[in-house]
Amino acid sequence: MTLIATRPGAGAARPYRFPQVVRRSAAGGQVVAAHLPGQNLAVALLLLDGGAGREPVGKEGLGGVLAKALEEGTAQRDATAYALAIEALGTELVAGLDWDSFQVSVQVPVDRLGAAVELLTEAVRTPKLDPADVRRVRDDEATALRMDWANPGPRADAVLRADLFGADNRWGRPLYGDPDSVAALDVDDVTVFHSEWFIRPGTLIVAGDLDRIDLDALAATVFTGAGGAAPDKGGPIEVPLSERRRIILVDRPGSVQSTLRLGHPSPHRAHPDHVPMTLAGTVLGGAFTSRLNHLIREVRGYTYGIRGDFASSRRFGRFAISSGVQTAVTAPALVEAVGEVSRTRLTGVTEDELAVARSWRAGQLSVELQSPRAIASALTTLVVHDLPDDYHARLREALLAATVEEVSAAAVAHLHPESLTLVVEGDSALIRDDLVAAGLGEVVDHAP
Amino acid sequence: MPDSGYPWPIETTRLDNGLRVVVSEDRTAPAVAVNLWYDVGSRHEPEGQTGFAHLFEHLMFEGSVNVAKTEHMKLIQGSGGSLNATTNPDRTNYFETVPAEHLELALWLEADRMGGLVPALTQETLDNQRDVVKNERRQRYENVPYGDAWLRLLPLLYPPGHPYHHATIGSMADLNAADLATFQAFHSTFYAPNNAVLTVVGDTTAAEVFALADKYFGALPPRDDIPAAPDGRTVPAGGGPGVETVTTDVPAPRVYVAHRTHPFGTPGYDVTTVLATVLGSGRGSRLYQRLADGERIAQPDLVGAYGVDLAHGPAPLIATATARPGVSGDRLREGLTEVVDELATVPVTAAELDRAKALLSTMWWRQMSTVDGRADTLGRYATQFGDPARAGERLPAWLAVTAEQIAEQAAELLGAADRATLTYLPEETS
Repeated sequence: MTLIATRPGAGAARPYRFPQVVRRSAAGGQVVAAHLPGQNLAVALLLLDGGAGREPVGKEGLGGVLAKALEEGTAQRDATAYALAIEALGTELVAGLDWDSFQVSVQVPVDRLGAAVELLTEAVRTPKLDPADVRRVRDDEATALRMDWANPGPRADAVLRADLFGADNRWGRPLYGDPDSVAALDVDDVTVFHSEWFIRPGTLIVAGDLDRIDLDALAATVFTGAGGAAPDKGGPIEVPLSERRRIILVDRPGSVQSTLRLGHPSPHRAHPDHVPMTLAGTVLGGAFTSRLNHLIREVRGYTYGIRGDFASSRRFGRFAISSGVQTAVTAPALVEAVGEVSRTRLTGVTEDELAVARSWRAGQLSVELQSPRAIASALTTLVVHDLPDDYHARLREALLAATVEEVSAAAVAHLHPESLTLVVEGDSALIRDDLVAAGLGEVVDHAP
Repeated sequence: MPDSGYPWPIETTRLDNGLRVVVSEDRTAPAVAVNLWYDVGSRHEPEGQTGFAHLFEHLMFEGSVNVAKTEHMKLIQGSGGSLNATTNPDRTNYFETVPAEHLELALWLEADRMGGLVPALTQETLDNQRDVVKNERRQRYENVPYGDAWLRLLPLLYPPGHPYHHATIGSMADLNAADLATFQAFHSTFYAPNNAVLTVVGDTTAAEVFALADKYFGALPPRDDIPAAPDGRTVPAGGGPGVETVTTDVPAPRVYVAHRTHPFGTPGYDVTTVLATVLGSGRGSRLYQRLADGERIAQPDLVGAYGVDLAHGPAPLIATATARPGVSGDRLREGLTEVVDELATVPVTAAELDRAKALLSTMWWRQMSTVDGRADTLGRYATQFGDPARAGERLPAWLAVTAEQIAEQAAELLGAADRATLTYLPEETS
């Protein structure tokens, strides 16, 4: 035999280390940096408390329009000159948002970081926001969303979110808005949002070789002229569970797959069950060998992939499963997916499954946190959620220490199969009867 | 900045069975990347067997002599690792990044599926993964607007018989016809140690890796008659430019303009890479400035140009734009081709060139910023050019490209007679 049959054991484990974190107050703002010795690339990111959660109801997509409008010229130069100046440094301006924050960043060879941060600051603090430009960017964004919404997924996501959180609330509407909400924005909405949230100092995140980076100089660039107090972050939002499970059918005629989005509300990020809940989600739908992917893909062959997880922001969270399954097997795939949620809640997780989940989540803290971009993202987690410098090391310990009892208890507490909303985006004419017959709950047709 | 694009050590060896082993030590993080390039891709597929190389890639995760079905995934993730595999026209790569103490496990797993896949391969596994791949095809190509653009561009660029004529995902008919014996033969034919490169980058030493490679792979038999893919270097002259217009369920007109350039790794393709960046990367690019900003006929987020890095034939250069509301497909196509045509007539300025090179430098160092990015790069250069150290030449070669070379290449290769044009138009709505 030419193969070695015996599986080798692990060698001596190397100690885990997150890069050294440096925090300082400078020029009226806060800097949080990670030292990456020898790294040629550096990332600087300005973290502002101006996420989608700050958008007024009815103004969804405001942050996305502002993100694009920042590049339409500044007090110092027009849009073309700005693009040429920043791209000549080897970076584009990357602006984006989530529920809790607005983030603008650059990624450049370390010797160009100072110049890149100057241009970043120019766009964030002193954008021109010419009314004609803002209107054009708004129209382009509405068009871009229309393009995106022609794909399967965004409509199903929006229907699920509205059903979980209520369309009367900002957090019950899509993160980036929808084509209509963006088209309805006006110039004042954008300029007011900018003046309210983009002049406050925020936090400067830096990941790179700090021996070659002058943090004080970067801070002076970013914070000089900025002002205003850090805003109140708001407390967790109580979101009631649905009293009964139901299916919402979103028609997409001609679809060769059905897009599935199943979910219910779950706790916010600071909930004490965060770690066991994450691990329960990993066993159910996170790892490749998760219960959902194993059954629906590897045994049944219904899909290219299916995943489920708990996700959370500062004020709210949700459990969700997503997949695309062949049209003909939509109902059985749905029945089996709900079945796995129920089974996980009823019987908990096994030690064998949990061993994979905890090692994987813990190991990812070394394997996936390598690049300056990934490290910068990890630093934003510290800032947004008020976590200590050694958070990642502590998280690793907590993951590795979680027991079957704790994770199974989290499954009981935080999985609610009877309260799931099951959104199906597919060819209604082909799947509706099967969905009714499946008996999973009332089938409601989403009004287009 | 260093003079080389690869300022880390590289050590190589070749086992007696022909397996090439590449190691690049880096103690920065307690992780290692393990990467295998097999020199087999969809270019090796005969007619009637399209999609087989990729379907085979799926089967490599379904168990081998000493590894149960899906256990590969479980063991790697259960060690804290990330893993995946990809197939393209040129090659198939398999890779995992694990905490350094699990290096030996990763090598054992890779050896087991290199040397022991066939006895574990069952009809049930094949049928299951055939269904998974068909769902992958539906999800990525059939169920999304414009999803089949790549499937349509390839036959416009490469004639029947050329190894790049068909797409890696294959056809549903061929996938349905796939039988077990063909896959057993596929493994025996191509998954031999002398058809692969094993690369390890990260928290280890060359001596350790060489010893482990010999221990786990050293006894696997080589194969001396691995068939070559059809020669793709010369493309027979076709019947003029390829043009296709598709009227279907898409939200706006979109145009792709594509050309055959040079094989990846040649000086000519270095020019293509810089040219594509000047043309279509970033807001300062010609396409953005002219079509999204200037004339405002294209949607700003959906305009761009890129080369597809294929090494065994003239690689494609693709430029694309999607119409703003009210702009016709004809108008968009005229605008797009005009900007491409001007690469030959309007000289690239020093500022345009510097911008492109700065963006490419950052792109290169981003790829080099992780052990897995470095491992895949070294595996590519060892497989395709016989020497992993040649990876260090790529960035300097890009930085040496001149405006004159770009104009010359545009005049030589980007003419209307050599152009493939694919236009999507929305269906008329009543």
